[in-house]
Amino acid sequence: MVRLTGLALFALAYAILLEAMLAAAILFWPEFAANLTAFRSMTSAIPIAGDMLSQIEGQGLPAYILGQHFFKGCNALGTAAAVLFAAPAVAGEAHRGTLEMWLARPFSRRRLLLERYAAGALALVVPVFLTTLTIPALCARVDEIEPYSPYLACAAQQSLFLLGIYGVTFLCSCAGSNPNKIALTLLFVTVFEFALYMIKTATHWSLYRLCDMDVLLDLYGDGRWNAPIVASLATTVVVTLVAALFVFERRTP
Amino acid sequence: MSAADAGAIRIAGLTRRFGATVAVRPLTAEIGPGGITALLGPNGSGKSTLLRMLLGLVRPDAGSAVVDGVALAGDGLGIRRRATYLCGELHVYGELTGRAHLAWCLRGRGQAALERACALAADFELPLAKKVRGYSHGMKRQLLLAAALAPEVRVRVLDEPSEGLDPTRRAQVLELLRADAARGTTLLVSSHHLGEVERASSRQLFLKKGELLDEASASELHRRARESLRVTWASPPGRSAIERAFGGRALDLRLEESRATLFFPGGGGIESLRVLLGASDLPDVRSIVYGELSLTELYRELYGVEGV
Repeated sequence: MVRLTGLALFALAYAILLEAMLAAAILFWPEFAANLTAFRSMTSAIPIAGDMLSQIEGQGLPAYILGQHFFKGCNALGTAAAVLFAAPAVAGEAHRGTLEMWLARPFSRRRLLLERYAAGALALVVPVFLTTLTIPALCARVDEIEPYSPYLACAAQQSLFLLGIYGVTFLCSCAGSNPNKIALTLLFVTVFEFALYMIKTATHWSLYRLCDMDVLLDLYGDGRWNAPIVASLATTVVVTLVAALFVFERRTP
Repeated sequence: MSAADAGAIRIAGLTRRFGATVAVRPLTAEIGPGGITALLGPNGSGKSTLLRMLLGLVRPDAGSAVVDGVALAGDGLGIRRRATYLCGELHVYGELTGRAHLAWCLRGRGQAALERACALAADFELPLAKKVRGYSHGMKRQLLLAAALAPEVRVRVLDEPSEGLDPTRRAQVLELLRADAARGTTLLVSSHHLGEVERASSRQLFLKKGELLDEASASELHRRARESLRVTWASPPGRSAIERAFGGRALDLRLEESRATLFFPGGGGIESLRVLLGASDLPDVRSIVYGELSLTELYRELYGVEGV
């Protein structure tokens, strides 16, 4: 109950921020499209950003939305949300000394952990889907017509990626007792990975390759899921959850 | 479940290690059904680990336990459904009101348990509409105790239920425990206070370094505590002067400068008060404490166990 209220508030703030970023980006689209050349000259020092602009030049508004909403908005904010929602899940209870009291109630550890996992996971992915659902309406404001379904498929891919980060953090939380340390460590790693993405010669090492504009444009264009990527993300989600259950079952309060 | 198992706690060879430290050595005991059994021992003696093992909160390395007819297995869910537990360490969700905290603690126990808990908390004069972060240490203890005493179960495991309470509340809590035991509930209560549990409990189990002292030792400890005298003189007396004053009576004497602890294996501690006050070759007496050694003091005196 305590955590649910906190999670609900954080999820609401996260959804509002995502929506605000999405709305601003779409409403800015006409000006952006008119000034693509100027933007290209600004990004000449960052080849990866230049590649993204090329994709937008070639594919128009959908590529722009995928870049702005998913690659930039959901990857940046969503990663932070995944880490911040998962880090205190169990470690937070240990840190504040309430772990024993939480475990002493007449519920199985599996149930307690799955409830907590599900609450955080929903707080993480529901805002991604809800904000994605507003894309067609926002596009109508700039006289563009966009469908729902390809964006919802991209939201599913994005959610799977975020759940992977959430799962890893959740596992760390099940094993640790200091949520701040866990959150800072994971945020450092993800920021490093995001920075790596922007380096042309090292970009292929970045985890964010699993949910970038290339992957999302394939999904948007012909509905083709990248099976190896989806399988690796789904495996990560399942393996981290099973490992979290295993660790939590043996945890001493 | 047989009638004999209902409300009983049967422990067979329960063991737990933390790395190289053995927190609880193979421990076997039968408790209840019914009555208050006190688990006594200084800090680090394994009391809390034993209680946590009984509830499935800590996995035993070896041994087995049956609580109210349910064997300890897996994460102990079967036992936690049939028993309540009061944590020894006092941490709460400060952002909740007292009532919301009780509801959180009693989730899965039914509305009737919540109502009883609220009634108990009202008896303790707890401000249930106020956030728990504003509660004193003792009030938090009473809130959690109300949650542990409210459900209708046959077994309650309470880790230091009266710790941090003022004497009035402490007496009230002991009275509640006695009333609960009188209804047939089995209470396993850990405490550091021999005097307190002596008044409330029907049986005492003494733990020392994870090991259960045998019942004979427990009775002996109990009797010696009642027969003990702690005397402080104005200046250090000579050991021989004390022994002379008692005229060769069987006496176990621990002397530290001007303070001495005396045990009388043959009994008769109360008569010795007259001897002490009448002894002319001993310094002036500053204080005498009779029959009120705390468990910690008793352990320190008898076994050299430090802690608490």
